[in-house]
Amino acid sequence: MNLYDIIFYLFAAITIVSAFIVVNAKNIVYAAFSLLFTFFGVSGLYVLLGADFIAIVQVMVYIGGILVLLLFGVMLTHKITSVDIKAGSVQTIPAVIIIGIFAALLIGLMYSTHWAVNPAEIPVTTTKSLGKTLVTEYVLIFELLGILLLVAMIGAATIARRDGDK
Amino acid sequence: MKEYLKNTWEGIWTVLVGMKVTLKHLFVPSVTIQYPDVKLPLPERARNRLYVNMDDCIGCDQCARACPVDCIEIETVKALPTDDLGVTSNGKKKALWVTKFDIDIAKCCYCGLCTYPCPTECIYMTDVYEFSEYKREDLIYNFSVLTPQEAEEKKKNYEKFMAEKAAAKAKAAAAKAAQAKTDNPNNSDKK
Amino acid sequence: MYEYLNNIVGNEVITYFVVAALPLFLVVLPFALIAVLAERKVSAHMQDRLGPMRVGYHGILQTVADILKLIQKEDIIIPQADKKLFNLAPFLVFIGSYAVFAALPFSSKFIGTNAEVGIFYILAVSGFVVAGILMGGWASDNKYSLLGAMRSAAQIVSYEIPTAIVVLTLVMITGTLNLGTMSEQQTAYFWNWNILGGAGEGIQQILLIPFMVVAFTILFISTLAEVNRTPFDIPEAESELVAGFHTEYSGMKFAMFFLAEYANMFAVSAIIVSLLFGGYQSPFGYLGNTLGIPALIPFEQLFWFLSKGVFFVFVQMWLRWTLPRLRVDQLMTVCWKYLIPYAVFNLLIVGIITLI
Repeated sequence: MNLYDIIFYLFAAITIVSAFIVVNAKNIVYAAFSLLFTFFGVSGLYVLLGADFIAIVQVMVYIGGILVLLLFGVMLTHKITSVDIKAGSVQTIPAVIIIGIFAALLIGLMYSTHWAVNPAEIPVTTTKSLGKTLVTEYVLIFELLGILLLVAMIGAATIARRDGDK
Repeated sequence: MKEYLKNTWEGIWTVLVGMKVTLKHLFVPSVTIQYPDVKLPLPERARNRLYVNMDDCIGCDQCARACPVDCIEIETVKALPTDDLGVTSNGKKKALWVTKFDIDIAKCCYCGLCTYPCPTECIYMTDVYEFSEYKREDLIYNFSVLTPQEAEEKKKNYEKFMAEKAAAKAKAAAAKAAQAKTDNPNNSDKK
Repeated sequence: MYEYLNNIVGNEVITYFVVAALPLFLVVLPFALIAVLAERKVSAHMQDRLGPMRVGYHGILQTVADILKLIQKEDIIIPQADKKLFNLAPFLVFIGSYAVFAALPFSSKFIGTNAEVGIFYILAVSGFVVAGILMGGWASDNKYSLLGAMRSAAQIVSYEIPTAIVVLTLVMITGTLNLGTMSEQQTAYFWNWNILGGAGEGIQQILLIPFMVVAFTILFISTLAEVNRTPFDIPEAESELVAGFHTEYSGMKFAMFFLAEYANMFAVSAIIVSLLFGGYQSPFGYLGNTLGIPALIPFEQLFWFLSKGVFFVFVQMWLRWTLPRLRVDQLMTVCWKYLIPYAVFNLLIVGIITLI
């Protein structure tokens, strides 16, 4: 058990525990803030997998962007913070059956898959190759995504615009 | 578009101008002073804390009467003929023991009206303006040079003197009466 | 640095902690100590005053006295506050601003992590600051705190965009996200700095200069807004919101916010320095080279990096005492209608120039 293992388990614990709180919290603001730690833990796991760029994007987009938007939504909505959200359990039996099937499937997959174990190596930077593939191989998808985002932005601006503003 | 560019340029330019001004002021010597260490000179006729020079006070009570807020309290006892109280700096002979000269500076309104009637100019306003106290009683200043015992003594002396004088007077009157009786017995009969 | 310390200590874990704590004790705490005093002194002298004069010669120990006072203060937690989040928020804010220091190239031998994603990482972790501010503002159960937190978050999120675009411009020129490599490229002597066109040659370098100046202006303004300093201090506008999101905090928790603010000030100055002003490189060459003592060079680099950073912190203070606070709508106008269009335009032109 070396240092990296300890860090891995730490991040894994952060992710799982905070995700559990997200699902179970009675207070919606607690849930939103727990999501922060979930994203953080996931980005830590990405770093340990050698995907530094993805990890940073995870932090930037999810914590810096989506989470803040979420918090804004929660805090600006009138009285939403005091609403008791349903976190109890309903329909336990069907849920147990479905989860049991799903878990069995996953565990079965885990054991049946032939895992290719590579010797641990120093992760090389992924930024350059990512950039290259984005503008060569996947340029069409990349551009389409760009256009999609632009359309979404214009749509948002149109909706937010007050009537009569010219 | 032209407006927009002009706006941008003006924004940046005015900020730079402002920064030039503040930078200049960074090297201007400060206009403030380090107050408790350095003090600004007060104007010559500044009116601040009252002070009474008891050597000159003749106990005339004029200042107390002039005071619009009654913050001066004076009690005097007449001196005995045998007491020598000396003279004030402008040659007036003192004839009263000032047993009490209290100024409640908390009440004082710094009008300076008490200083004008003083015949010997012994009450005046100084340039001391920091005299805050923790207790309000400490703001009552006792200027009397006599200790309470002394004041009591003077009072007693005076009463004794007066009593003696009265006794003497009575005795003298009695003697006189007796003499008159002997001189002119008819008179006393008439009385 | 890491290898060297590892050899001394001999334990990986301890070394990690030591390396992680070094910027805190070498840079952040002394800097905060000096900067708080400098702020008061600079502001005083700009207003023709003297500032603190009592503790030590010309008040140089004032901050130490203030810290002693802050440590002794009662840690007040108002009963209506959400205790968990209230206690967590200052640490989250401090983590966000301290994490930035991991990727700053203090000297060629002292970079917390020489990660390839350096500057991108710095932009990302400032998200923690936003979350922390929102957390603190919400948990305080105070309308001023909540308003301040909202304004702060809106401001930081908006101004991240021009910052990111300008950083992108510079990444385009230097071809790397790594701040260490970027500093290395702007080799000694100031005409190699990115603000003067970078280490390139010929017509390209000269053409770049005006656009680099524009980039610097945008970067400076937007980073200034990101650290909530005047004229962009609407989140803690004293005259309207008491103290914004940290109204309810006292004692050491308030000190954490304070420390985070000053750490942030230095961090953004350091980003500007390493992107545009040569990073840790000296403007005139190194004394160590002239004297033939190579061991001196890293220390000189540390000195240059810190002094350049402190200079920009001074400019921030200078601006603070020059300009009044912006209104909320003006703030958003500056960002969305001026900075972003200029930044995008700048990006395009610099892209064309680099293609020449």
